[in-house]
Amino acid sequence: MRLSAVKPIALVMTREIVITTLLLLGVSFVVFVILYFSPGDPFSVLLQGQMASEEARMGAREALGVSPSWYTQYVSWLVNMFQGNFGTSIRTGLPVLGELIRTGINTLYLTVGSLLVTLAIAIPIALYSSVRGETVFTWPLTMFAYVISALPVFWLGYIFIYFFMHKFNVFPVFSGTGAKFSWLYSLLPIFVLGIGNGTTSEVIRYLRDEMGRVMSEDYIRTARAKGASVWKHSFKEGLLIPVTEMIAAKIPFILGGAVIVEQVFNWPGMGRMAWQAAQDRDFPVIMGIAILAAVFVRMGSMFQRVVYVVVNPRASQE
Amino acid sequence: MKSYSQISGEIGEFSNLPFWKKADTVDLVYVSYGLLIVSLVILSYVLGMFNLMPHDPQALNLDLMMASPGTSGHLLGTDFLGRDMLSRLILGIQAYFLPGLLAIAISLSFGTVLGVLAGYRGGRFDTGITYFTNLVDSFPRLVLILLVIAAFKPDIYYIMIVVGLTNVPVVASLIKGKIHFLRQKNFIEAAVSLGLPTRTIILKHILWHNCRSLFIIQATLGMGEAILIETSLSYLGFGVQEPMPSWGNMVQSGANYFMQGKFWPSTAPALAILFTILGFHLLGDGLNNMLEGKRGR
Repeated sequence: MRLSAVKPIALVMTREIVITTLLLLGVSFVVFVILYFSPGDPFSVLLQGQMASEEARMGAREALGVSPSWYTQYVSWLVNMFQGNFGTSIRTGLPVLGELIRTGINTLYLTVGSLLVTLAIAIPIALYSSVRGETVFTWPLTMFAYVISALPVFWLGYIFIYFFMHKFNVFPVFSGTGAKFSWLYSLLPIFVLGIGNGTTSEVIRYLRDEMGRVMSEDYIRTARAKGASVWKHSFKEGLLIPVTEMIAAKIPFILGGAVIVEQVFNWPGMGRMAWQAAQDRDFPVIMGIAILAAVFVRMGSMFQRVVYVVVNPRASQE
Repeated sequence: MKSYSQISGEIGEFSNLPFWKKADTVDLVYVSYGLLIVSLVILSYVLGMFNLMPHDPQALNLDLMMASPGTSGHLLGTDFLGRDMLSRLILGIQAYFLPGLLAIAISLSFGTVLGVLAGYRGGRFDTGITYFTNLVDSFPRLVLILLVIAAFKPDIYYIMIVVGLTNVPVVASLIKGKIHFLRQKNFIEAAVSLGLPTRTIILKHILWHNCRSLFIIQATLGMGEAILIETSLSYLGFGVQEPMPSWGNMVQSGANYFMQGKFWPSTAPALAILFTILGFHLLGDGLNNMLEGKRGR
């Protein structure tokens, strides 16, 4: 690659990394503040009311190396996290980081898969209605998008389980990890989350409006007039950029939906772990999940910025 | 400074027809369906509040379990303990209606204040709000709520405060955009040069005359979201607990009978969720198209 092509990407990457760092600091601070004000910190659980007096408690804190002021606590927690030490789970006693990576990969798989399903539904509908304008199908397609966006995803999950696993036996009901078609089983939650994450109608509307806007630009008319390919001229601005924008914007929603879908399908992912941790008040786990989820979200938006700059290098100067 | 020919060309925009006569049929259908749903929800809320339901929603009837809809006396059938579905659906509205209003009130009030500050003062406020927006967007909402649940074991009202706060940036940026757009208009300039106090300009000329529809639209969309979150949480077991009904925990408890082919106890509340959220979405979008003059089709 030539240097002129790399430079804008490097520029935008540096800026995005700075923004991401600032935002992750903010996220960690919010997480810390919520847990700092929560009643009954893990420390008092540890003491179990054995030391009644305030002085004795302070002494015990000092002996265990827990600093009394909130900012030193925050900084030491942050430094620990930077060294990859997310603490140990209160429920299982295992280090959080290993669990996070294991479940995070499962959730990433689910999330990316369902994003692809959502796009596979949304892009054809959006392209059809922006290129053809109003036809007989416009209204049914719009209604379809509205309905699947309002579907409760947990119920959709049960419907899928019933019909595909129970009724037609397409997928094995009991899929141990060693089962022959276990990867097939994983397609079900991906489809359910892809259809039912509640963002489809918004994605369709955005893609359609953007494509429609590009289609009415002068350069498309010129391309049409000189007989050049309209698709080639409209693809980047009309489809590629809006799609990446939607991917970046919808990752948080899909991660939220993953909490529910993982519950329905017993999917061993981050969402299920978050549910379990919220049940058990397992602070280190839920803190780690919040941070990791924020990292996923920021990665999505970084990806979007990079694609944007590759398409339009001038944007790196802004 | 429009010439006459332009005015005659845009007669639709300047005529004194009420807005519903200028609207598209599709939008009218959307809005009337949405209003129907809203009035049903409010009616059911009031009925549930005064205990005016066809049956006692907690009364067990072990002779009539899993009755199909249309059984005499039980319009929507009964659940796995013989409790009347319709009454439980009506009572389930109690779980989200007031909390949802709280979330809406929080997001609208804080969002307006921040939006006005960012739009009018700009500069540092603007940067701050952009940062705040990005910060909130970095959290998957459900994960943030689960974090709050783990920390405080709060009831639904506190959860809805969190939901409201996460919606603040959306409202703020909409108001900010609106103000940036309006400040270039002649009537604001005229109001400033007439010496009207800034308070009057903001409250009357900007917020009241030009942001009313925005508030209504955001409120309907916010209610749709509140329903989604409440039902999801009570499905996950964090919200309303049995035997009190919520649409989410009704789906969950009915799901045990799903594999036996008995869909109804779990499907009825799911359909209630579907139709209600659909109603709020359609109302919001229809109003958006009608009042803000956007035809996004």
